[in-house]
Amino acid sequence: MSGGRSMTLLLLAVIGATLFFWVVLHQISGLWLDVALRPEVREALQRSMDDQKNLRALDANHRDDYRRRFETTRKLLQRLDVIRLNREEMLRRFEVILVGIFALAAAAAAISLRQRYRRAQALERSRYLDRVSVLQENARRHAHEMKGPLTAARLELERAIEGDQEALASVAEELERLTRLSRQQASFAAIGRPVLRRDSLRAVVEEFCATFAKAWPGVSLRFAGGDAEVCADRDMVRQVLVNLCSNSALAIEGEGSVTFTIARGVLDVSDTGGGIPESLRASVFDPYVTTRRTGEGMGLGLSISRKIMIDHGGDLQLAATSTSGTTFRLIFGEMECS
Amino acid sequence: MGVLILALALAAGQPSFTAQGGRVVAIVLPAELLADRDVQRQLGSGLTTTFLVVARQREGGARGAARIEIRFDPWDEVWFVRRIGIDAKEERQRITTRESLEKWWSAPTAIFTGTANRVALNVTLTVLPFSAAEADDARRWIVAGGGSPLVAALIGTTFDAKPIRSWRWQTEVDLR
Repeated sequence: MSGGRSMTLLLLAVIGATLFFWVVLHQISGLWLDVALRPEVREALQRSMDDQKNLRALDANHRDDYRRRFETTRKLLQRLDVIRLNREEMLRRFEVILVGIFALAAAAAAISLRQRYRRAQALERSRYLDRVSVLQENARRHAHEMKGPLTAARLELERAIEGDQEALASVAEELERLTRLSRQQASFAAIGRPVLRRDSLRAVVEEFCATFAKAWPGVSLRFAGGDAEVCADRDMVRQVLVNLCSNSALAIEGEGSVTFTIARGVLDVSDTGGGIPESLRASVFDPYVTTRRTGEGMGLGLSISRKIMIDHGGDLQLAATSTSGTTFRLIFGEMECS
Repeated sequence: MGVLILALALAAGQPSFTAQGGRVVAIVLPAELLADRDVQRQLGSGLTTTFLVVARQREGGARGAARIEIRFDPWDEVWFVRRIGIDAKEERQRITTRESLEKWWSAPTAIFTGTANRVALNVTLTVLPFSAAEADDARRWIVAGGGSPLVAALIGTTFDAKPIRSWRWQTEVDLR
C-alpha cells in the first residue's frame, strides 16, 4: 500500500470515528441539561413563588420569611432561565471541545498505529534479510566445504585411473571428510532435549577434566573450585564443554590453559587464548560464524552449545574477551529435574 | 428650530425620530415593541431586559447609542427601569403600573449627536435577555455546584446575553 493511500485511509478513519463520536455525543449531551430545564420544573418553581406571595397576605407576621423564600426561588428560576437562554451555545461548545479532544486523540492513536505498523514492517524486512543472509552464508560454507574434498577426490581418481593405486587412499580420506561434514550438519539439526537430573556441577567438571586431560595438546584443563547443585543433562553439558575447549585450543597458540570456576550457580570457562575479534562478538553464537578456515569447521559449536544451555532453562554467555583470554559463562536455570 | 421627521417606515409599531437641541436625534419607541411576544415573556422572567439602541450615520460612519433596562420585581409587581442616552443622562424609576411603564417607554431617548444639518441613520434595536451581573451569578452558581475546571471554563465563556429580538430602521433627520 502506498504511503499516500494509507495516509488518506487513516485520515478517513479518523474523520469517520470523530463523526460517529459526535453523533453519539449529540444524542446524549443535552440530556442532563434538559432535565434541569424541563417546563415542569419551571412551573413548579413559579407556583412556589405564587404561593409565597399568597401567604404573605394570609400571614402578615411571617411576611419577611415568605419574602426570603420567594427571593431564593426567584433567584433559582432566573439562573435556570439564563442557562436555558444559553442552552444551545453551551451544548455546542461542550460538543466542540469533546469532539476536538476525541479527534486529537484519534489522530494521535492513528499516527501511532501507523508508525508501529511501519516499524513492524521494517523489522520484518530486516529479519528476513538476516535470515536470507544466514542462508547465503550457509550455502557458501557448504559449497566451500564440499568443493575441497570433491576436487581433491576427482584429482586423486584421475591419478588412480592412470595407475597410481596410492591415490585411492586419498580418495577415501576425502570421502571421510565429506562424511564428517555431513555428521556435523546432522548433529546441528538433531540437538535433542536434555534429560535433566540433579547433579553436582563440581563432579561434572572434575570428570570432564579427567577424561579430556590430554585431548588438546598444549592445553591444560584446571578446576579452580566451587560447587553447585544443578539440574542438567551431563552428556549434553559435556558436549558444551568439549565445544568450548575445542575453540579455546584453536585460540591458544603454543601452551595455555582452560580454567573452570563455579560460583553462585554458574560455571565460568576461561582460556588464555588470543580472544574473539570485536567484529565477531555480537554474532558469536550465530550458526556458521567462525574464525576457522574453510575445512576446519562449520562454526556451529557455539550455536549448538547455547541451544543446549537454553534448553536447560539457562543460557550461555560471552562473559569477557580480550587479547589475554576469553570467558564463557554457563548459566543453569531453575528447571525441575526429570 | 425646524424639525423634520423623515422616518422611512411610518406604519404603526414603528419608532419615530425627533431632533432635539444641540443637534441631538432622539428615538420614540412604540408601545407595540413592549407587547411583542418574546419581549413580553422576557420582561415577566424577572431578569433585567436590556434594549440597546445603536444609530449609525450612513455617510461618515459616526455612531451613537442608548440603553434602556427594565426589570420586573414579581414580589411587589413593580418595574425598575433605567435609561441612559447619548447625552449621558441617566434616569432611574420605579414604576407600578403597565400604563406608566408604556408612557415612560415612549418618552424620547437621545441616541445620536450630529454635526451636519441633516443626518441619515441606520438604527438598530436589540433586546438582550439578561444583564452581565445575572450571567455572572448563574455561572458562579453552576461552578459552585461542583463543576470541573473544564466546565468552569466552558460556562465562563458561554454565558453571553445573545439578542432575543432585534429591529432595524432607517431614517433621515433634519437637525436645523
